[in-house]
Amino acid sequence: MIVATLLVVLVVQRPAPGAPDGQWPMPAKDYAATRYSALTQITAANAKALRAAWSFSTGVLAGHEGQPLVVHQTMYVVTPYPNVLYAFDLAQEGYPLKWKYRPNVDAAAIGIACCDVVNRGAFFANDRVVYNLLDGHTVAIAAATGREIWNTKVADVRQGETTPMAPLVVGDRVIVGTAGGEYGVRGWVKGLDLATGRVVWTAYNAGPDAEILARPETFRPFYDRGTGLSQTTWPPDGWKHGGAPVWGWLSYDPALDLFYYGTGNPAPYNAEQRPGDNKWATSVLARRPGDGTLVWAYQFTPADNWDYDAVQEMILVDLTVRGHRRRVLVHFDKNGFAYTIDRATGEVLVAEPYVAVNWAKRVDLRTGRPEVDSTKLTGASRGSVRDICPTLEGGKNQQPAAYSPRTGLFYVPTNNMCMDYQTTPVTYLAGTPFIGLNAPYKPGPGGNLGAVIAWDAGFGKKVWEIKEKYPVWSGALVTAGGVVFYGTLDGWFKAVDANSGAALWKFKVGSGVVGNPITFTGGAGKQYVAVYAGLGGDWALLAGDVRSDDPADVRPPASFMPDLARHTSLGGIVWLFAL
Amino acid sequence: MAVRAVATAPLIALLVTSGQQAVPPAVRYDQHVFAGGAAPPAEMLENPFKGDRRSAADGEKLFSAFNCDGCHSLGATGGEGPSLADGRWRYGGADGAIFHSIYYGRPRGMPAFGGLLPPDAIWKLVTYLQGLAPAVDPATVSW
Repeated sequence: MIVATLLVVLVVQRPAPGAPDGQWPMPAKDYAATRYSALTQITAANAKALRAAWSFSTGVLAGHEGQPLVVHQTMYVVTPYPNVLYAFDLAQEGYPLKWKYRPNVDAAAIGIACCDVVNRGAFFANDRVVYNLLDGHTVAIAAATGREIWNTKVADVRQGETTPMAPLVVGDRVIVGTAGGEYGVRGWVKGLDLATGRVVWTAYNAGPDAEILARPETFRPFYDRGTGLSQTTWPPDGWKHGGAPVWGWLSYDPALDLFYYGTGNPAPYNAEQRPGDNKWATSVLARRPGDGTLVWAYQFTPADNWDYDAVQEMILVDLTVRGHRRRVLVHFDKNGFAYTIDRATGEVLVAEPYVAVNWAKRVDLRTGRPEVDSTKLTGASRGSVRDICPTLEGGKNQQPAAYSPRTGLFYVPTNNMCMDYQTTPVTYLAGTPFIGLNAPYKPGPGGNLGAVIAWDAGFGKKVWEIKEKYPVWSGALVTAGGVVFYGTLDGWFKAVDANSGAALWKFKVGSGVVGNPITFTGGAGKQYVAVYAGLGGDWALLAGDVRSDDPADVRPPASFMPDLARHTSLGGIVWLFAL
Repeated sequence: MAVRAVATAPLIALLVTSGQQAVPPAVRYDQHVFAGGAAPPAEMLENPFKGDRRSAADGEKLFSAFNCDGCHSLGATGGEGPSLADGRWRYGGADGAIFHSIYYGRPRGMPAFGGLLPPDAIWKLVTYLQGLAPAVDPATVSW
């Protein structure tokens, strides 16, 4: 099967702009969001000899999502709230700190972040480290000294906005977005000036065309026609507190000069309070980085009934689909379908389930719309709708996939769970949750709660699968050495063969892994792999019995995952591994 | 995400004050060790509805209607915010301490509801939360 795949899917390796192979300057290493490294020192043959080389406690107990950056023999680590930035000197023994930056972050943000106080990482550009503080500030820090160059308030915690996502820097533009789909925000992305931090443009994800920056002469969605779609697909004023947040990953195609991002759920969860498609929630949007102009958009889950955010990464590759070379983006949606989309036009070329899916039978490629199973529609009048797959945690959530041009395969961390879903009417109160939901989870088919799969995006087929006991909440890394790295919720960091999925090596890192591994060339030309250990990231998933830091907060385990706390608890450790 | 099970009932009725006006306390962190051995005024506040089942039922409806369950989960068992059903209290479990937490908010993300809810409604929430029975032995988990 793998051989057949390689014969048909010929892949052009996209060079990573500005990213020498030994460095890791942005969240996914390159603009195409591949999380692929051309380093070859660690191979499938020698990975069994990997060993721990160094570790560091961040001093923070919370979900350590995101990943370090490595540039010029310096490693940059952003912690979860309170968002300390550490700069480690990789040129000296023991990797001492060059400096650390301790911002003053508003503690009120803790209660406004729906899903733990995570941070998904920084971006290195122009000798500065740019990242978001949880309380709605974007900062630029001088890489040499740790001095704050600018600090811009971009989001308002009092309106339910927080900023856990990692910025994207394109040229002199810093692009950031807001979270808050559970707090009834009106989602947006903003473009800041890299030199000064000034907000140059703001583009909302829903509302009047003028405010989502959709102009008739430049906005050309493949499937949807007409103007005012982002108002007419909502009840009057529904878009004003309609969610569509941006808390995931951004990617960029220099040739097309488009950046891509997904939007989260429409608010509230009770779909009966917001009849219509609710564009452009649960969608992918393609914009110009310079001025935010919206060029195309496509909605994965119209009239979302299941909290199927679409914020997962858009991986940009060129591959062959039905005999034709296409410039595509590949996206593994929370809704359980993996989409291969023409990234110039927004035309859906392939849409196949990559996990168990029953809310829709298929996606109609002619219209781009899913064929929804009406028995799985939800809403306050429908009571508890049983056995919907996947859960609102998604077939995949924030955990980013990786793509190897050598194998032509995508390596995808996944969840295997189903849910019952009961919504209730809810009232918008600024700064409080706008949710109204009872949604117990249960294991999906087979009983394993997660898996790592290898995916052929030209055909929309799973090539191999590694079943995991728990949801796989860490990202994936793949290297030219033919090794895939990922971590597990119960605290294993693993290396597997990129061709076969065969286990090569594993190490218990002390806390569950929800971060994303990276690799780089350190001193003496040696290849290192780095990853965070630090359980957290979603208190709806992790009952809270994995916490031991608050004697006044004692919770029972989750019914669908009763023994996770037997294997792990909160942590915050940066690990380095090498041969 | 978190959760709720209670239908939004005639909330306006729940918000009407009953004539009993408990004065909003003016201090914080009342369950701490008291400097000089003197308890601040909030420590003395008493829940006028203590143990009243109808008030507790009203409080449960308010817990959902004012989105408390969005953070603390169905049954107040804990979500983004801590469990309020484990018999343990980050900022004190005395009547006045819980009232304070709701009225003024708390620094780690608890919004202040004092501007939104009259004192009687807050006392009904306090009554509901105080009536939640903690697990038999919350301190021990065994596999």
